[in-house]
Amino acid sequence: MKPDIPAVLAELAGLVARNAVPDVDPAERAGALGLSAALLGLAAEAWDGAAQRLVEENRALRALLASAGDRASRDAWLAEGGDDDLRISALSSMNARLRAALIDLHAAVERDPSPEARELEAEIWEELRRSTERRLMSGALA
Amino acid sequence: MSSADLASRLAAYAATRMPTAREVEVRDLSRISGGASRQTYRFRLAWTEEGERRERRMILRRDPPASLIDTERRVEFAAYSAFRGSKVPVPEMIWLEEGSEALDQPFSVAEEITGFEAAPALLWTEPYLASHEALARTKWSILGEIARADPFALGLDSVMPPPEPGACAFRELDMWEKVLDEDQAEPLPITRAAIRWLRANPPPAAQKIGVVHGDFRTGNFLYDRQGGIHGVLDWEMAHLGDPLEDLGWSLNPVWNFKRNLAGGLVPDAVAIAHWEAASGLKADPDALHWWTLFNCVKGQAIWISSARAWIDGGNREPIMVLPAWGMQNAQDRAILKVMDRL
Repeated sequence: MKPDIPAVLAELAGLVARNAVPDVDPAERAGALGLSAALLGLAAEAWDGAAQRLVEENRALRALLASAGDRASRDAWLAEGGDDDLRISALSSMNARLRAALIDLHAAVERDPSPEARELEAEIWEELRRSTERRLMSGALA
Repeated sequence: MSSADLASRLAAYAATRMPTAREVEVRDLSRISGGASRQTYRFRLAWTEEGERRERRMILRRDPPASLIDTERRVEFAAYSAFRGSKVPVPEMIWLEEGSEALDQPFSVAEEITGFEAAPALLWTEPYLASHEALARTKWSILGEIARADPFALGLDSVMPPPEPGACAFRELDMWEKVLDEDQAEPLPITRAAIRWLRANPPPAAQKIGVVHGDFRTGNFLYDRQGGIHGVLDWEMAHLGDPLEDLGWSLNPVWNFKRNLAGGLVPDAVAIAHWEAASGLKADPDALHWWTLFNCVKGQAIWISSARAWIDGGNREPIMVLPAWGMQNAQDRAILKVMDRL
């Protein structure tokens, strides 16, 4: 999730403190605190599963890149290794590199008319569908 | 700027715009929550004129330092003004101030339309449940009226550059892809796949060059309990282009509000039929599919740019985070749905 959750929580802490002052306009306070509550709810829901989601997704993306063989040669090194650093920031950074590699692979596969490419394309779409399942939140707006 | 300072400076500005008015006052100024692209306030303007004390309810929309949507307020003002008195209900625009001297940021002032609702969530509670079919008819008929309008007769081509009919689609796609390129904080594989498909499968040329509202959806109009609409708001993305663009935006699945209905109200086919009847245009299914998918990309660009404004520190209001956190995944799923991948 961007902006990063810790940065948003820090900003909300300041916002709540500013709204604790008695002479804040009630309508402004209501708006600020209502939106803050909505964001806190989304952050709370994302918190517990964040590392699990990123590890699971990075693993799936590495498997896809590995199965792509020469098509993903520029990013072949990304398919190796794992997630040794389990901080959310480190996992997110690796996730971004893997998703960037996936975009390149997806575009290359679309240009390839072979049956193998169609098979790989279907696997990519399936992983993209799963990625949206992982990111589902009950508090989402739509 | 405190509310008291803002009220005082707004009153001073109003006095300069009303040379025959005396004792000009701004009363009950209060911020309306929401409004990610403009800071919105309601207030009462009171003044004395011809020996009589008068009062009018108004809305102030002031630019924040960085907004969710970077738009020209002159274009927005012109769009509102062009439809005043037509079958497209809009509030009267009163003042446009493009300088920053009066209130530190440019702003506009409009009449406040009172007594109606805008919040989508209320539509799925009593007493609004029975109004959905009537509201849908009104909603897509108004959108059809916008499509039917002649932007050249309205003089809107003087503030909105008209594209060639065959250039509408890629002009919009180029613009919003650039926003994504500049503002994305992380890679977007689903959105990028959609853009590749859109470029490989361009739609036919527009049937006509029309007015495109740019953000016509449930939530951006004032409705009553009987299915009437009394004000179409948020014209800040208005431009000239293919009228199917607006229809496609209204059918973007994120505006279904977790209901499998256009705008959360009626099946897509019903909405399209109302639009066709009012506009006199045809919604070619393939062309509409292109515009619906395009609008999913446009939506993603808007959510992404709100995150960027927050990350860069230009606007640290919580309203800038909510679309990024609350809409981005929904928009990805909408893209998958429109591309028949979900």
